[in-house]
Amino acid sequence: MVESVAVPISVYRYDPGRDAAPRYVDYTLDMPRHTPVLTALLRIRSEVDSTLSLRYSCRSSICGSCAMVINSKSRLACQTQVGPELDLHGRIVVDPMRNQPVLRDLVVDQGPFWQDYERIVPHLVPDPAHPMPVGKPNPMTPEEVDRFYETPRCIACGACYSACPAKEADPTFPGPMALAKLYRFVVDPRDGARRERLLRIQPGGLWTCLRCHLCTSSCPKDVRPSERIRDLKELAIQEQGATEAGSRHAVAFKENLHDRGLLNEMRLVRQTDGVVGMLRQAPQGLRLARKKPELLKKPRRIEGQEQVQKLYELLEDEEGGA
Amino acid sequence: MRLAYYPGCVAQESGKELDMATRWVANKLGIELVDFPNFSCCGSGFVDEANLVLNVALNARNLSFAEKAGLDLLTVCSTCQGMLSLANKKLELPAIRGRVDAALGQLGLAYHGKTKVKHLLQVLTESFPPERLRPLVVRPLTGLKVGAFYGCHLLRPADELGWENGEDPHSFEDLLTALGAEPVLYRGRVMCCGFPILFVKEGVANQIAGRQVEDAAAHGAHAMATPCPLCHISLDSFQNKAAKAVGHDLDMPIFHLPQLVGLALGATPDELGLPRHMVDTDSALRRIGTVAVPG
Repeated sequence: MVESVAVPISVYRYDPGRDAAPRYVDYTLDMPRHTPVLTALLRIRSEVDSTLSLRYSCRSSICGSCAMVINSKSRLACQTQVGPELDLHGRIVVDPMRNQPVLRDLVVDQGPFWQDYERIVPHLVPDPAHPMPVGKPNPMTPEEVDRFYETPRCIACGACYSACPAKEADPTFPGPMALAKLYRFVVDPRDGARRERLLRIQPGGLWTCLRCHLCTSSCPKDVRPSERIRDLKELAIQEQGATEAGSRHAVAFKENLHDRGLLNEMRLVRQTDGVVGMLRQAPQGLRLARKKPELLKKPRRIEGQEQVQKLYELLEDEEGGA
Repeated sequence: MRLAYYPGCVAQESGKELDMATRWVANKLGIELVDFPNFSCCGSGFVDEANLVLNVALNARNLSFAEKAGLDLLTVCSTCQGMLSLANKKLELPAIRGRVDAALGQLGLAYHGKTKVKHLLQVLTESFPPERLRPLVVRPLTGLKVGAFYGCHLLRPADELGWENGEDPHSFEDLLTALGAEPVLYRGRVMCCGFPILFVKEGVANQIAGRQVEDAAAHGAHAMATPCPLCHISLDSFQNKAAKAVGHDLDMPIFHLPQLVGLALGATPDELGLPRHMVDTDSALRRIGTVAVPG
């Protein structure tokens, strides 16, 4: 018989039609340390309060239904055991996913999540120049499949979408899952819309990503959305050059290092924002420079700068980058 | 202890106070910092977006100098830590390794993947545990409630960084406790500061920074502290704009990690470059019985 421990659980409860405001209800249950949080919630529902609402199905990290926020981290309730959470936090606090409106308790409206997914046209667009063979398989080489072997693992649970601070601050950002899926189609050799996809996603989309890697941290399937978004950015620059504020900034940063090997902070603002942007930033720049006069000076040139320039020569051409 | 010191760009430029504080603390703790005037910028999470292999090669070059000298490399910036760790990780991929090795070879350099990259927070955690640090504290930070703000690239992707829990870290809070301060736990401590899009979508970036400061304040923090000078830019240099973005005043002193260590070990505010901050740190300093001398 496995030993049980007392597990304090605080659960977010809210019925928007009836409750004036959300509240937390505290429960304490005895259970073994390896009990999944999902099982704990189902026990609360069956033994304590049958009105607790939550979404779940497979209990095996396959269906992606039970994503929620457990001790501040977006993840699957079926994949999170109570023991390690008690060790870290002393209790378990369960909230609904973020960035989606609450329908009731732990159930959110996933409409926005799926709308953002629809925006990236999540299916292969046939290439008229290379029609798919009819009635026959359309094989890919192992190398081609390797380029996106991580993304098909996605179970669309929405944990990354819930964890994303860019989505939280800017609702027009499509979120990590949609972009990871987009990557999967961009590098699929059978897809005929690669260029259109890369052009269409950039305004307001790709370059809002903060690279905080909270999506990669929250993903139960190790899809690593933040890394796929990084890959998309590089592909977008190769396809279109530096046309967006974000791509201009990345390319400007790269060029900035070429001369001295260290960042020239003021020059970077001009390179990214142009003269107009420079003027817009001038009051803040001058305010900072009063205390940080280095801002107005060029950085030193590092020793061996010619080595850095040689690396640019050797590795820029074959990339076809700017 | 001897370490190859990788200050990163900002600590050599607008964040010079971070370099001052790091050198003061290292000297006090008997850590010998070996300077490498040939280190270049780490790419800061931007160069790799334009050309990943070039960025990995730039950092392989940096790492090769430390490897040749037989030293672990010390960073004082979460982003430098992330980018140098990313290079080590990417060099495990044969396709990238081959191109980088070939390019370095043409410069007469070689990197064998042996350089360990460690942030100052990691070095302090591993080599100066509380029982070793506490006896050195001459000005305990008693009464000062501090919100640690880690900086994403020091934590995530956790398998790449390989030392802390990506969303439930505790090393910074443990260090603050050893210095006598009271760490404040708040959601924002592991969140983004907004810096990566400060020059791309400034309003959104300011709002994100403002929310983290608000969150720390709501949990009772008198000050915040960060191991990343880019977070410091967002939270301190641009706190005026963050306040506008969230629609009310913010007045949160933001310390660099080694500044708080330095204060506890007896440094003067001047020696740690505190007068260079945009948000006055005096409100926090008064709580520990000192004030900054205007610079």
